[in-house]
Amino acid sequence: MSDPAFLQIRDLTVGYGGNRVLDALSLEVCEGEFVALLGASGCGKTTLLRTIAGFADPSEGEVVLAGSDITRRPPDRRGMALVFQSYALWPHMTVAQTIGYGLKLRRVAKPEIARRVAEMQALLGLEGLQERKPAQLSGGQRQRVALGRALAIEPQVLLLDEPLSNLDARVRLTLRHEIRALQSRLGITAVHVTHDREEAMVMADRIVLIDRGRIAQAGTPDRVYNHPASAFVAAFMGAENVLELRGTVTGQDVHLAAGAANAPAAVPVHGRNLTSGRFEARFRSEAAVLLPADAAPVDGALDLVGVVRTVSYPGGLWRHLVVIGDRDIHVDAAVAHPPGTPVTVRVPSSALFLFDAAPTASPPPSSP
Amino acid sequence: MRPPMSQRLLALALVLPALLTILLFFVAPLGASVTGAFSLDGDFTLSNFGKSFELYSSDILFTLCIAGLSTGVIGALAVSIGGYLTLGENPLAVAVLRWLYRWPLFIPFIVVGQILRTFLARNGLMNNILIAGGLLTPLQTTSFLDWRGIVIAFVWKQTPFVALLVAGAMASVDRGTLEAARNLGASRLRILLEILLPQVYTTLAVGLILSFVTMMSVLSVPLMINAQSPTMLTADIAFRINAYGDYGVANALGLISLLMTAGAAAIYLRHAARERAR
Repeated sequence: MSDPAFLQIRDLTVGYGGNRVLDALSLEVCEGEFVALLGASGCGKTTLLRTIAGFADPSEGEVVLAGSDITRRPPDRRGMALVFQSYALWPHMTVAQTIGYGLKLRRVAKPEIARRVAEMQALLGLEGLQERKPAQLSGGQRQRVALGRALAIEPQVLLLDEPLSNLDARVRLTLRHEIRALQSRLGITAVHVTHDREEAMVMADRIVLIDRGRIAQAGTPDRVYNHPASAFVAAFMGAENVLELRGTVTGQDVHLAAGAANAPAAVPVHGRNLTSGRFEARFRSEAAVLLPADAAPVDGALDLVGVVRTVSYPGGLWRHLVVIGDRDIHVDAAVAHPPGTPVTVRVPSSALFLFDAAPTASPPPSSP
Repeated sequence: MRPPMSQRLLALALVLPALLTILLFFVAPLGASVTGAFSLDGDFTLSNFGKSFELYSSDILFTLCIAGLSTGVIGALAVSIGGYLTLGENPLAVAVLRWLYRWPLFIPFIVVGQILRTFLARNGLMNNILIAGGLLTPLQTTSFLDWRGIVIAFVWKQTPFVALLVAGAMASVDRGTLEAARNLGASRLRILLEILLPQVYTTLAVGLILSFVTMMSVLSVPLMINAQSPTMLTADIAFRINAYGDYGVANALGLISLLMTAGAAAIYLRHAARERAR
């Protein structure tokens, strides 16, 4: 990662009709880095990928690759290879013809093409399938062929558009690791579009979360998972339990006021930009601890009181639906607490994500 | 388990009207025509075929060449039109072409013959335009009312039909397959020939064979544009019947055209079967 700006996207704006899909989005990708573009459907992540590949025209902004502006360069002259969600294999071509097509276009000599195709087949576990056509391959094999077609031309950037979402779960898990291992072995810069959080977490060096055409947060999987920059990121990264709290920020601590269902607590600010008043609190069901209703309070954790409504067993841990005031939250625990049990839900400060509540209809903030 | 007798009779009763229609109006006349080709004054004979080849072998060859050449040109044009409609990047040009190319579909062959007769004649509109444009002098002009006129008429009339089928098939091809090739560095011409065309090949073949059969059966165009020898078999068949009442030779010539179109269909079917077996 010597060059800090191998692929640069600057203030990119893309729209279809009057609909603005990407809104002045900027992103830098280092050489050899694996970046996952993560977001819900329609957030603009595929449009961003297609714009990088040259299949969508930006109305503003530029795409710079290795120092040269490629914004208006046609897709066939960008040195990038795109892997499609639908595989987009050519039904009339064999595996060998498909993998070798990009080399044929580059006028590589036939023996050299044959050597590289064989190499790709070995790399991707497609040995012996060179004469097969797409209809005679399984889904996983098809996606491997599509990957081989893209990698055979040794692209500067590998673009992956949800390449695993049409595969069944087991094949998907294997291919995740294979793609990642191949990418690091070949040292290719990769941009991977996905709506699957876990896929992005295990594959990428860096996750770029996109929301309505803008970057919501970019960072290492660990950073995005444990330090979400906004309520949207926290929710997308699995912190689905949401509560509204009030509190005041003093120095390095946030003092959470006692509410109908929570005891007062003091938690560290963790460098977050919070203003006193109403907060949106989010946490993951597995990050909270279920305790008896009369558990003694401890420092640096938020205690919530509630009653178990239902309990189910999805495997591993018991999942409890706990009623806290007017909210329902999920809490996982190793032992089951029967419905009707009064409980204390303890959320450690490190797992409690606090954000300023949305300004809609907010009362004037109380002064500290 | 076999269905009960009453149900089978009902099924037969249901298909009977269609079956009778086919037998009465299609199989019977065809059979009469085929047997008519082999009979003279009620006796079995091959003399109708002998006469056909003796008098019209150059016309048989002419017909085959004209229909074959036209089919080739129609195929090339239809693929170009469909390809541009699918891969063209100028939205205005694509819209104009999409609107324009279908027009000849709605014009009958006889009108096509009429239009081109006045257009292609020695002192027709085409030469007048070329002279006015300074591209030709009046002495250099020639009439296109010969084999070239027939080919132009057939191509003009049949290209939209094949282009319509091919463009429809091309539009339903997964665009990802085109983008994948583009992404690897393929030019649009390569994409058309190596990615798009192979995926619509069957549709193109069907369109061309239907066109070939249509052209083999058109009488008006050769009569209006090419009133000379050699000419197409349809004109010969009409002549045998109208001038001599010679149904035997007319039937034999009809059977020969039928074998030519069947040959085209057979080549296609064999090719399609081989493709499927691969």
